[in-house]
Amino acid sequence: MNLKKMLFIDRRIIYLLVAAGALYPIIRPIGLPVIPTKPVAALYDAVEKMGPENAVIVSFDYGPSSEPELNPMAGAILRHLFLRKIKVVVLALFPLGGNEEAKSELNKVVDEYDLQYGVDYVNLGYKEGGQAVMKRMAISIADVFPVDVDGRPTADMPIMAQAKNYSDISLLISLATGIIGEWWANLVNPQFGVPVSVGCTAVSAPKYYAYLRAGQMMSLLGGLKGASEYEKLLKDGYASVRQTYEKPEEKKASATTGMDVQSIVHVIIIAFIVFGNVIFFATRKEGSK
Amino acid sequence: MIPIGIWVNALLTLCILSFLYKDNPFFRFAESLFAGLSLGYYIGLTMQNTLRPNLLNPVIHEFGVNFNYLLIIPAALGILLYFRYIPRISWMARIALAVYVGYYSGVTLVQKLHGEILPQARDTVLPVTHGGANALWNIIMIIGVFSVLIYFYFSAEHKGALGRVSRVGIWFLMISFGASFGYTVMARVSLLMGRFSFLVNTWIRPMISG
Repeated sequence: MNLKKMLFIDRRIIYLLVAAGALYPIIRPIGLPVIPTKPVAALYDAVEKMGPENAVIVSFDYGPSSEPELNPMAGAILRHLFLRKIKVVVLALFPLGGNEEAKSELNKVVDEYDLQYGVDYVNLGYKEGGQAVMKRMAISIADVFPVDVDGRPTADMPIMAQAKNYSDISLLISLATGIIGEWWANLVNPQFGVPVSVGCTAVSAPKYYAYLRAGQMMSLLGGLKGASEYEKLLKDGYASVRQTYEKPEEKKASATTGMDVQSIVHVIIIAFIVFGNVIFFATRKEGSK
Repeated sequence: MIPIGIWVNALLTLCILSFLYKDNPFFRFAESLFAGLSLGYYIGLTMQNTLRPNLLNPVIHEFGVNFNYLLIIPAALGILLYFRYIPRISWMARIALAVYVGYYSGVTLVQKLHGEILPQARDTVLPVTHGGANALWNIIMIIGVFSVLIYFYFSAEHKGALGRVSRVGIWFLMISFGASFGYTVMARVSLLMGRFSFLVNTWIRPMISG
């Protein structure tokens, strides 16, 4: 066989192999092991130390294009916050779908717990403005969000008395695609001192490590891997959550199942990189003879 | 019975995936539809979630009673932006633009200095004489930052000592690009998995099981 021909293999053959590798674990989940890392465990441990006296902001800064990575993260984090009976203030700063993601994840999770809207949690909805919104929230969160996602006034909600501005917020969790997560880390944390944790898409994870190392973030969940690690910690810590994730519809959508796909496709890609390099050097050797 | 929304979702997904074979009208239709829908959604969302509760409702319900008159300023600036469509007074739009540019320059200047340059510089001032393995890691960090900065110093030719240090910088950059590439692959595989999972679990499986 002519080795040089192999260097110009039709890219669609590679697509087919990747597709097959991605489909197999979706049809038949394998259940490969997940080992939690320090940046993810830091968030879990911080939430474990909190209780009903604490208020946490969860900002949905992503849209449908990042759903597969960030929805499992959102589900796991919300479950953990509600299990600890922490007051949860949900908002969205990403225009193209942040609002919808917040609604759908909350709707999915709140029914699992005995929660009262406006007392235990609130969904403030989307607000245009990015950095301007973040800065103004330092003075009054209710001023920036006079009504919630469904148009109900927020000022009289009991939860808002526990979350007047950043000084009442114990932790800010941004589930982010793009730059909004960075703004929480490089604007809100240094200027107002709120501990920030970011769960981001894998493609943005490397730049967040700089903020994590510098102490501007207290934890980092990078992509599906971060989500699966959080799921693992939560399942190990709470039997009720373990049962929830055993339900077929939850299992299919979980990050842990997604990591099976990641592992298989990565093996295929690594195999192609090795294969391409071997063929490249072999043909170069042939050419020099 | 599978809801019509799932059918639309599945067919549009297939239209987009068809680009992997080659460019075609189905892909271009789905792409244009997505762009148009996104813009329409954005306009409606901003109107419903920002303009109405933060500006229109106070103007309509509170004017004269407890009204925050400062709201007139952003409202006027917003209206001024549209003056660019009236050629005779289009220059007035620049007033609003000047305020926006000024505001965001101010915010970003402090943000960059206070939130990026100072903390990142502080994080590079590391102890190298004690701490065991940490000290070794700190030395690697310092060498990495220094050599990469030298690589981006273009006021002298990269020859001799400068060239050697900048070459070390290239190695550090390559390692960082490798990490970024790995994470990018992971992100893209997640997107593919999300679509496949939808097609298999939400569309095909219920169709087969009736």
